[in-house]
Amino acid sequence: MKYAVYASVAVLAVTAQGAFAEAHLSFTPGEGDFNWDSYNAFAELYDLSGQTVTITGPWTGNEKEKVDKVFDYFEAATGAEVNYSGSDSFEQDIVISTRAGSAPNLAVFPQPGLAADMASQGLLTPLADGTAEWVAANYAAGQSWVDLGTYAGQDGTESLYGLFYRVDLKSLVWFSPIAFDEAGYDIPETMEELKELTQQIVDDGGTPWCIGLGSGAATGWPATDWVEDMMLRTAEPSVYDQWVKNEIPFNDPAVVGAIEEFGWFAKNDDFVQGGAQSVATTDFRDSPAGLFTIPQECYMHRQASFIPAFFPEGTEMGVDADFFYFPAYAEKDLGTPVLGAGTLFAITTPSDATSAMIEFLKTPISHELWMAQGGFLTAHAGVNPATYSDDTQRAQGEILANATTFRFDASDLMPSEIGAGAFWSGMIDYVTGTPAEDVATTIQTRWDSIR
Amino acid sequence: MDNMAGQKTSLSIVTNISVIVLVVLWLIPTVGLLVSSFRTNDQISASGWWASMFSVEEAIRISPEPAGASRNGDYHVLSGNLFEGGSGSVSGFGIAATAPGVAEPGQVYARYTVDVTEPDGKVDDTRIEVAYDAGTEAVIPTQDDDGNAVVPGTAVLERSLEVTENGDFTYVSDKEIKRAPSVYITTMQPPSFSLKNYQTIMASDNMDRAFINTLTVTIPATIIPILIAAFAAYALAWMDFAGRGFLIAMVVGLLVVPLQLALVPLLQLHNKIGIGQSFLGIWLAHTGFGLPLAIYLLRNYMVGLPRDIIESAKVDGATDFQVFTKIVLPLSFPALASFAIFQFLWTWNDLLIAKVFLPSNSESWVMTVKIADDLLGSRGGDWGILAAAAFISIAVPLFVFFAMQKYLVRGLLAGSVK
Repeated sequence: MKYAVYASVAVLAVTAQGAFAEAHLSFTPGEGDFNWDSYNAFAELYDLSGQTVTITGPWTGNEKEKVDKVFDYFEAATGAEVNYSGSDSFEQDIVISTRAGSAPNLAVFPQPGLAADMASQGLLTPLADGTAEWVAANYAAGQSWVDLGTYAGQDGTESLYGLFYRVDLKSLVWFSPIAFDEAGYDIPETMEELKELTQQIVDDGGTPWCIGLGSGAATGWPATDWVEDMMLRTAEPSVYDQWVKNEIPFNDPAVVGAIEEFGWFAKNDDFVQGGAQSVATTDFRDSPAGLFTIPQECYMHRQASFIPAFFPEGTEMGVDADFFYFPAYAEKDLGTPVLGAGTLFAITTPSDATSAMIEFLKTPISHELWMAQGGFLTAHAGVNPATYSDDTQRAQGEILANATTFRFDASDLMPSEIGAGAFWSGMIDYVTGTPAEDVATTIQTRWDSIR
Repeated sequence: MDNMAGQKTSLSIVTNISVIVLVVLWLIPTVGLLVSSFRTNDQISASGWWASMFSVEEAIRISPEPAGASRNGDYHVLSGNLFEGGSGSVSGFGIAATAPGVAEPGQVYARYTVDVTEPDGKVDDTRIEVAYDAGTEAVIPTQDDDGNAVVPGTAVLERSLEVTENGDFTYVSDKEIKRAPSVYITTMQPPSFSLKNYQTIMASDNMDRAFINTLTVTIPATIIPILIAAFAAYALAWMDFAGRGFLIAMVVGLLVVPLQLALVPLLQLHNKIGIGQSFLGIWLAHTGFGLPLAIYLLRNYMVGLPRDIIESAKVDGATDFQVFTKIVLPLSFPALASFAIFQFLWTWNDLLIAKVFLPSNSESWVMTVKIADDLLGSRGGDWGILAAAAFISIAVPLFVFFAMQKYLVRGLLAGSVK
């Protein structure tokens, strides 16, 4: 009762700040499993009426609607106005606007590599002192998130620039439970079992995998995820880290081995829908469709947690589609490695309201509000998993929480000329016939030439 | 020389045929885009647009509600109609997604468990599936799929399905039917098109705003460069001053400079002098980027006007300004019009410059930005929307083009043939 009174007083105070009617908010404050305490505490601290925070990021369409709903609560709590705009070509736009001096207050980077690049040119402002300690203490595997957001500034001093908000899980294999059920297949627990299953599906006259690498100008990136996942399953995490920093060459046997592990799946005409030749030309957005055709064109599809957005309309999670963890080798004893990616907020033009927004993103409520709308995973340890919109999300959250090793998408960490260029095109060369050794050597040559 | 006329005829036939071939080749992608704009996303990724005009046999999974299942001896029976009040025509059915149309309507498709003798002499059980006409007895084959001999008299029915052409079905199972069973049928689907993509675009928030913004950018960005370029072209064509040749060479040189180079410095300049990201800024940018071609095109046209007219006007005491407004400008109308079409189309379709020089909030989105950043979905996967958006945004340029096309051809020729 006392809590309810406290909450309604806070809500009154919020509405008194004048900005927004309560009907505007999609989840009524005080109701549900949300951490409203953190919201009320935040709302008490700040009154920023009349101020504006401008934010640009890569979320467009449906994702923009969701994040706008989260920002609605910031507006309601502080009275400030939030102006978020998403762009399909965010990576180019942010470079132009910061260099030309018309930067927004905050930018949402999908790749730490780009943020590091901009930090080194003095285009970003470090986060407030103490944020690093806070992230280390409050995020699952906190120190790794601090490291991923810490870059050298223009003067060479290292500080925390990026606060991670939203994580994508990449080590997932999607399948149709009905198809598995009818064929009598079990979900593989180890990589050995996965390879056996692949072979068995072929013996039964089916096609195990749908793989599509097409993505317009970014064609090839889905293959980099495959290789990174394979890297974590065939080599120590320390080798992975050396690879990312190019402390071992790209054509090191460990890397070439991982590429060939990917090739075991993708370069076998029997294993992939349409044959190995169609891997490079199939669009990644269209490739999961084969799981749902009747008769099914393929049984499995390895892709990150965002892919259900491209499943055919009306696909019901858990009934028509489900996922399992892309397993590790039982014999290699590397634990259960998980590959992921994430987006980070960094300050491009500081202001009071901008700092308040960073504080807002540290509250559990800001994460829970998107979790409840679906399509959002978080590393924030203080959130209530009950607010995940469905069991699928919760199960992904568990995979993240149970990971013995978490590594960030390597291609996002490499210099963009490699991670968003040579690596992509190299993978296309590989699936269309060039040997792994040659591809890796070519990429290493490119890397040498940009130093 | 005698067969000159005949040659000409055969040549013109060849010309006509190649023109037709070229036109058809050119039109194929456009027709494809048009057809795609009436199809949903799932349809587009499932089949090509050329296949969309015909009815196709489609396999579907139906899970009839298990309510109403009854017990009949050792078996559980569920019957009803698969189309549930609707109507349809079944062309084939099955009990597994791998073979959705294996049996014909009017047949029964049944799965038995049988004992087989394996090559090493061991007896094992396996499954056998048979289709037979309703009302007759099932004939159990003597061999299974792997060629092993079936032990006679061991067949036990596991489940069977009977479907008639109008969708009536009887499902028999040896287990209690608690969950909805999966029944697969194939049926002919007529071609289906919808206006949904167009509705989505027309009904989306702020689309009218985006349309007006595009016009706000496009019209001044077409008129301003023409105004400036016409004066400059006259001066470069008909006024004698030192360095004129050098200036012309500069303008031609500017034609080859990629405008992307200027984006950052130009925006920096705009921010410094207080224009910032605004409509004024984008007008100036489009003007700057359009001027080299405009001056080059108009100057080449004007220099080809008859010298006599201009000189007699000057003899009669006309000033340069009078010559320009009263003689050169009216005569240059085709060139002005053709450049106007170019500039209009280019600014209408522009995405890059609009993104850089306009504020990024949704109030100042032009149509291209609205389509790319808002309608195409989170990762640009809505192909159907893209196709429909292309046809909506093409409407105005098409109108402009047809209204002014007679000038386009004349203007193009006029600039080049001298």
